[in-house]
Amino acid sequence: MSESGAQLLARLEARRCLKDIEPRLFPEDRGPDQGAVVELFGLEGTGKTELLYHLLCRCVLPEAAGGLEVDVVFVDTDYSLDMLHLVSILDSKLSAALLAGADEAALRSCLSRLLFVHCYSSSQLLLTLHFLETTLSSRPALALILIDSISAFYWVDRCEGGASYTKQEEKLSRCAELLGRLLRDYRITVFATCHAIRRPGVSSSSSDSERSYLCRSWQRLVTHRLLCSRQEPGNNMAAEGGHDQEQRRQQIFTVHCTTFSSRVKVSWSSSFCVTEAGVEFLSASEENKCAARQ
Amino acid sequence: MVVLREGMCPGLDEDLLRDLCAADIKTVEDLVSSDIEGLAQKCSVSYKALFAIRRVLLAQHTAFPVSGADLYEELLSSTAILSTGNPSLDKLLDSGLYTGEITELSGGPGSGKSQVCFGVAVHISYQLKQSVIYIDTTGGLAASRLLQMLQAETSNTEEQMEALQRIHVFRLFDVYALLDCLYSLRSGGLQQASVGGGSVKAVIVDSVSAVISPLLGGKQNEGMSLMIQVAGALKTMAKDFNVAALVTNHVTRSGSGEVQPGLGVSWSHIPRTRILLERVEKAAAVSQPSLRSAKLIKSSRQPCHIKEEFDLQWWSRSEKGSSGKRKLGETDS
Repeated sequence: MSESGAQLLARLEARRCLKDIEPRLFPEDRGPDQGAVVELFGLEGTGKTELLYHLLCRCVLPEAAGGLEVDVVFVDTDYSLDMLHLVSILDSKLSAALLAGADEAALRSCLSRLLFVHCYSSSQLLLTLHFLETTLSSRPALALILIDSISAFYWVDRCEGGASYTKQEEKLSRCAELLGRLLRDYRITVFATCHAIRRPGVSSSSSDSERSYLCRSWQRLVTHRLLCSRQEPGNNMAAEGGHDQEQRRQQIFTVHCTTFSSRVKVSWSSSFCVTEAGVEFLSASEENKCAARQ
Repeated sequence: MVVLREGMCPGLDEDLLRDLCAADIKTVEDLVSSDIEGLAQKCSVSYKALFAIRRVLLAQHTAFPVSGADLYEELLSSTAILSTGNPSLDKLLDSGLYTGEITELSGGPGSGKSQVCFGVAVHISYQLKQSVIYIDTTGGLAASRLLQMLQAETSNTEEQMEALQRIHVFRLFDVYALLDCLYSLRSGGLQQASVGGGSVKAVIVDSVSAVISPLLGGKQNEGMSLMIQVAGALKTMAKDFNVAALVTNHVTRSGSGEVQPGLGVSWSHIPRTRILLERVEKAAAVSQPSLRSAKLIKSSRQPCHIKEEFDLQWWSRSEKGSSGKRKLGETDS
């Protein structure tokens, strides 16, 4: 397909690499390179959205506050963006970093780097991704697409597709193929959350519930897979006595990351807890202390 | 899937439509995803014209990006927090029901979910003077109970009637009627309901699991798809019209024996906040049969698993004694 000179330049110009987006989550050089797709997978309440907000804040914050100053597109498929929560995290990070106190202008400039778009069906997601191509050409600072969540239309598509699996997966496959082309042509990165639909139960093994259930085209795109889970607090406390203690105890979330580096499967784990200021990663010693307290 | 039709945009006439059909391009998605150059040659139309048609169709059907700053300004001015009327519940919910979100109340039979919904409806319509849409799928709503709760708030019959008029009740018993009702509310029903009193601030669905759980299970996917469609309709309504959605759910036992909300894992991602209601099992509770305990099991604002105890009679507190629970039957017609 022919393109104008401006489009060619926009395509070839290097976009910000996000390898150093979170060294406590992606140690050494295992971070997402240009063209990488990171999938956050887990049950409800396992901290996927918190992690997404944390990575989002890291991207839009100015360099003075420890951010990367890149533009981000947030594709929302199930109305799950809690804007007020996101702004409170941004606010606390800005005021922690800037000595003069966070002012409105700094917050506005961070928010103006975020583009928000909502899709209500997988057909609209496909059309929106086509439309985003023009946005990508016109904004060279755009380096990240966040999709929350990619699995929102799974059941609706399965029912619409009738009996054949190909028809059921067709819409998401086309979105995945288009995403693949955008990744190759524009060298951006994609982060997507995927809700688990099976709980690890007594009859099925845990690997069954962690397996990806979306179409093959999407599974082929994913380069880093983060499995999020939550450690259950101890249940053997009396209701009255344990009331205050329960509230003071921190809920620990674990992320198990898997990626392929030169054909070898590499995996590692990190833990974090959620505070007022967002996600706080725990070092190994802190993790053991919290586990012992439980 | 949007099917291509004549006159959808300037330049899309009958002949072009026929040529496109012959080239297997029947929907807007097909046209946007295909190679324009090749298609222009096949349909013997100029590349420029086809490219212009593609651009217009894309602009008509795509979702437009909004800047984060504008979205934040909009949300700041439109989000509201509705108190439930019960201070313990408000503490659990971080000061009340937030508009633009779905809050879920789950509990076993007799745990007080419907009573809490009545209390919330009465509080919003009487104290906050706003309208409430109450969708009853179990047949458990009795206007006499709402009146009883209002009588505990005020003895002025005119005010009671006004407050009752602000509660709009819909009785439906299957999921297609529920979807129908939600879609019609979105396309004008909410404006109609706001004409009398204040604007509609809450939509209560009691209970959403009663119409969906009979469809789940088995090998067909229709039940799951309908559940997600109901969730989508509720969320869109909550966001677009700034209402708070409150739904109730039943409970099941998990594999390890503990009580969990029903409708499965796919539903668990839908509500933003989830509360589990239980009866209080202790000796002191015998004298207070209307005592319930609420546990927060999912929240993006508070630490999870905090518990609060509250009295179901809070919404109808008067000196009359134990006329709180509907089951006691004396006041029901």
